[in-house]
Amino acid sequence: MRIRITSIMVDNQEKALRFYTDVLGFQKKHDFPVGDYKWLTVVSPEGPKELELALEPNANPAGKTFQEAMFAQGIPVAAFEVDDIRYEYARLKARGVVFTGEPAKAGPVTIAVLSDTCGNLIQLYQPA
Amino acid sequence: MIVTRDTFRRLCRARDLLVEIPEERLSIAEIAQKIDVSPFHFIRQFQSLFGVTPHQYRIRSRLDRAKLLLATGEHSVTDVCMEVGFSSLGSFSDLFTRRIGTSPSAYQHQARVSVQVPGTLPQKLFPGCLSLMGCLPPTAFRNFREALLTTAR
Repeated sequence: MRIRITSIMVDNQEKALRFYTDVLGFQKKHDFPVGDYKWLTVVSPEGPKELELALEPNANPAGKTFQEAMFAQGIPVAAFEVDDIRYEYARLKARGVVFTGEPAKAGPVTIAVLSDTCGNLIQLYQPA
Repeated sequence: MIVTRDTFRRLCRARDLLVEIPEERLSIAEIAQKIDVSPFHFIRQFQSLFGVTPHQYRIRSRLDRAKLLLATGEHSVTDVCMEVGFSSLGSFSDLFTRRIGTSPSAYQHQARVSVQVPGTLPQKLFPGCLSLMGCLPPTAFRNFREALLTTAR
């Protein structure tokens, strides 16, 4: 058993692909049309290349309800590790990304939370 | 941009108001007023946070609701049109067809023939978490070991 794919629900897969590649800097791995939707995954150029993040449509009402509730409560649905959170914060902010606050220490990590514009909050963290 | 906790809360409240379909639907300016933000800042901040304007968000949520009602098969197209807040069947059908790519009645038919268990939503139109994986071609996945071997070469 191995962790190979994890997923994030998004309200629009095209918009999500633009955000996760053009803005965050991930790379598209798979893009297969499936009916009205796509099997769409991205990977980090910093690796590992085999670990994919699926950008899934939030078409199912159950998923949408969950997503909206998590967002409204300010709870991130995923966390991405960065080497330099101040740099990433400045880089993404300059690109118009919305953060809920400046990078802040939280125990053994420094975190910053951003909106992916697709209905999710994402936590960036830098280990101490 | 940084949104403060208070602004974040207001924008989430606005999102809820946009999705509501009351008898007297609030205009974008009225929603801005309800959350104590100027219309200009409301639209700008909302778009930065949610990736679409408030108007686009409202339209999308109404069409999503319409898709759901049509798929359950318990409502006529006219009923759905009224239920999601359109007063003109022509405007509703035109917008639905342009955005969804098929007419409301064709969408309803497609959903009906897709439902295998009564009372459930068709997987193809309302995929659950990771269920799309099952619709991929055999070549889409190599197992992890094969991928590792390829990377190592």
